Amino acid sequence: MGRILLACAASLALYIGAFTWLLDRPLTLGALGARIEASLARGEAIQQPKLVILAGSNGPYSHRCEIIEPIIDRPCINAGVAVGVGLDYLFTRWKKLLNPGDIVYLPLEEAQYARPRATGDLGPDASIMLRHDRATLWALPLRRQIAALFAADLPAVIMSLIETALTDDGFHDPRAAANGGYNAWGDHVGHTAMLAALNQSTLAAITPVHPTAAQIRTGYGTVLITDFLHWADLNGVRAIGGLPTGFADSPIADDSLAAIRSIYRDQGAGFLDLPNHSRYPRTAFFDTGDHLNEAAQISHSVTVAAALSRLTEQKHARSR
Amino acid sequence: MMFHTAPFIVGFLPICVTGFFALGRCCGAEWALRWLVTCSLAFYAWWNPEHLVLLAGSVALNYTIAWKLRHTGAPRAWLTVGIALNLALLGWFKYADFLRHIVAPNAPALHVTLPLAISFFTLQQIMFLVDMAAPMRDGRTTAPGTTGPETLPSLLSYAAFVTFFPHLIAGPIVRPAEVLPQLGAAGLARPCIENIADGLLIFLLGLGKKLVLADTFGGFADTGFNAAANGASLTFFEAWYASLSYALQIYFDFSGYSDMAIGLARMLNVRFPLNFDSPYQASNIAEFWRRWHITLGGFLRDYLYIPLGGSRTGALRRTGNLMTTMLLCGLWHGAAWNFVVWGGLHGLFLAVHAQYRRLFRPLPAGLGQALTLLAVILAWVPFRAGSVHNTLTVLRGMAGLSGITLPRMIVSALPPLAAIADPVSVMPFLGDARTLSFPEISACLLLGWLIVLALPNVHRMTDRARHWSLTGSFALSVQALLFAPHVAPFLYFQF
Repeated sequence: MGRILLACAASLALYIGAFTWLLDRPLTLGALGARIEASLARGEAIQQPKLVILAGSNGPYSHRCEIIEPIIDRPCINAGVAVGVGLDYLFTRWKKLLNPGDIVYLPLEEAQYARPRATGDLGPDASIMLRHDRATLWALPLRRQIAALFAADLPAVIMSLIETALTDDGFHDPRAAANGGYNAWGDHVGHTAMLAALNQSTLAAITPVHPTAAQIRTGYGTVLITDFLHWADLNGVRAIGGLPTGFADSPIADDSLAAIRSIYRDQGAGFLDLPNHSRYPRTAFFDTGDHLNEAAQISHSVTVAAALSRLTEQKHARSR
Repeated sequence: MMFHTAPFIVGFLPICVTGFFALGRCCGAEWALRWLVTCSLAFYAWWNPEHLVLLAGSVALNYTIAWKLRHTGAPRAWLTVGIALNLALLGWFKYADFLRHIVAPNAPALHVTLPLAISFFTLQQIMFLVDMAAPMRDGRTTAPGTTGPETLPSLLSYAAFVTFFPHLIAGPIVRPAEVLPQLGAAGLARPCIENIADGLLIFLLGLGKKLVLADTFGGFADTGFNAAANGASLTFFEAWYASLSYALQIYFDFSGYSDMAIGLARMLNVRFPLNFDSPYQASNIAEFWRRWHITLGGFLRDYLYIPLGGSRTGALRRTGNLMTTMLLCGLWHGAAWNFVVWGGLHGLFLAVHAQYRRLFRPLPAGLGQALTLLAVILAWVPFRAGSVHNTLTVLRGMAGLSGITLPRMIVSALPPLAAIADPVSVMPFLGDARTLSFPEISACLLLGWLIVLALPNVHRMTDRARHWSLTGSFALSVQALLFAPHVAPFLYFQF
């Protein structure tokens, strides 16, 4: 019996020790972590009122701060990362850098509202915090800290070993060459229509999954967003909700749209809904239903920027 | 309540084991056995208390028939009545809609709810009746291949044997003669540290197989097979990875469950027979069936195939017996044509193997193993896919008829691959459809197949290897048990 207990204790100690101090996923989580830190660094460097776009990967792929910035006449940071990254983590990091007068635009993916707490606790940010950002981890609830200790499942263990070995061996990540990269604003660039043409069969096969209105209303993501909207209101930060980009042939249901809209309106936040509800034909996308190709990204950004300008001017006029 | 859930592990199990030994110490073995039956019934009722009546009724009815069988002058008639009643019960709950659909395809479905474990406790009790009738029927003291019970056990022992929670839900299908004497042994309710430690170790290793391995591969398999069910076509690697993942999922899931059952029984001083013996290492299909779900295979052999005439008849009849046995084996897994097809394929494989063995020398072990594995994996496709259309979609993908694609980053890193595969940004039906899904699933499959093909199973490991395996798996089991957002039920629960 003693040997069993010893084996169990050793297993836990090895697992926690390895993931706290030794193992990492430099290709997967490293890329996400670098993205988060780069946008935070840009946010920290900007001292004047700014626009921050917070979302999943539809943020950088479908929005272009480089285009939006001159139209709305304020610095723009594209801080969207990936749909799985915990909103509590992103909000905790960004709250420190948001000042009165700043605008946060949130074209969040539907899944980000509906995500259950247990899934959110094990998102990629859990491992990122455990390995590289313990200060933020300690600022989150104890539940989140314990979950972060146990965020790695079997595929994560295997990929940690592979990615760590590959990086130590000087592996050159081919993703940038294949898919494009990021500019100084945090926008994804280089995901051209020409590259997108190679993905048309993939795009044609995708069947988007839409959470129901009930899932959106009761999701843990909605709780986090509501808390953030409340915080923004108290701190003079203007939060504006929005819709993620998606296929025109797979619209968000009306009741789900209403559920999303009411999350913002109930907290007194703005909500930007374009006439097309940010839906585009599949040919306008790059590789998934969340990622517009570069040409469509630019066009969508012009439309969003114009709508954001109108929305902020209306507010400004009302406050005068 | 499932073995791999926190309520079972930290609630039911400690209460059951502690109560069993405490009652055994202070009140005697009979009270301990009563406690065990009570716990087992509570365990069963956790899912659906209404079905408890069915289980209790089935136990009472079969015990009555066994008594009649032993104490009246017509054992054969009572045996026939007993088997017929058991099969009728199973037939109504499991096959009514299936048969109705065959007879009258347009008739509305009956929607009979399948009571949990009915396939298992029905076989268990048929076995008991046959074994009880054996000495009465032909003067033998044993049923075929067993040492059958010579006297009728007490109702309490019988109820404990049928409802014993470690095997109640999904086996192993234990022989009455293997377990009844253990349940009546004087030392049953005396705690044995060695058995508790052994049992706990086997249980924890089974838990790891289920939570860490089976559920991981299950996720990969679901992506591919669900896509096929939704009308998508799978490319070569998507189809193969889904099929290879399912073959691993069902092995780790069911052998993990069996290990947990064996471990739980061992903690309570009962030894169960081995149910899986590294079946994917078999060098031919007959050997596969001697290693896969051994207790079901044994039941089918001794209670169906041999009574049908077995291999003592001519080649044609033997083939017919094999096909009948395997078709019924498929049907036992579920009332659907995909299970019949699976059983039929295995019957065919066994028949071909038997003919080949008669005419030719055995294949080299490695080649035999590869062919066996390929046949088994292909047969899992209809088993999992559920319909002819979905099966054909997956098989078309496996044959490369729906194209061969690979992530562009892989093709960029290894340009010669461009000759065989079209580069795509992501493969939509592979794992989470992320850029790195392909290497991730490849590495997981490599590990999974390494475990099943190259390593000894839990029961063949040295004690030291078991402890090292526990060191390697325990933390991941805790991770899956307490933190995974979704707990997948055991696959064999549906059978």
